[in-house]
Amino acid sequence: MAFQNRNKFCYFKENGVHDIDYKDVKLLRRFVNDQGKIMPRRITGTSAKMHRKLVKAIKRSRSIALMPYVERGIE
Amino acid sequence: MRYYETIYIVDPNLENQVLENLKTEVGQQLEKTGSKLINHRVWGKKRLAYPINKQKYGTFVLMQFEEGDQVKMVEFMTLMKLNNSIIRHMTVTLDSKPEVHVEEVKKEESSKSNDTELKTDVSETKEEKNKKVEKENSTKEKEPLKVEKVVSEEVK
Repeated sequence: MAFQNRNKFCYFKENGVHDIDYKDVKLLRRFVNDQGKIMPRRITGTSAKMHRKLVKAIKRSRSIALMPYVERGIE
Repeated sequence: MRYYETIYIVDPNLENQVLENLKTEVGQQLEKTGSKLINHRVWGKKRLAYPINKQKYGTFVLMQFEEGDQVKMVEFMTLMKLNNSIIRHMTVTLDSKPEVHVEEVKKEESSKSNDTELKTDVSETKEEKNKKVEKENSTKEKEPLKVEKVVSEEVK
């Protein structure tokens, strides 16, 4: 896991990101686990404000098939 | 003034000219609602995260516009739904006025490279998963990777 054994910090505040684009799949992938579930704030360290935006972006990109709702293993 | 962004997925098997025709058609339909088109471009052919209408790939088209008549927008949305070659569409409000996208040859290339990066990312994660499974099962390492590549080529 990418987030374990690390000092927690908000990725978006650290990098000066204010708006999260649902089309930026590469970024959103970081905040989703192997199954495609959104990782909790207590693990990622994202601030509450940005987590709300993140969740919205992930859900949007799911509905337009850029990200999976459920990721099963290899078919 | 509000600004909106509509993204829609088009059947990947459409020829370029048919796609262009569809694009102009959608653009005309939108302008009937009184909204001003700012950007309308093909984002590229991408692999869908899950199959829609038994399609694994889709051509994404992005459209950014200034708000028009709200009542007529409903009609526009139903037209989008009824169009058979549009697999899925979504409209989102934008926080600020979008910049006019300038298309260059270099930018197209970079977008393509981005696509390939995404694909490699996916394959990498799959490989990682494979490795985990291998460690558990302590089987041969390289075989499943090869199988994957073959599968992806067939899909292409």
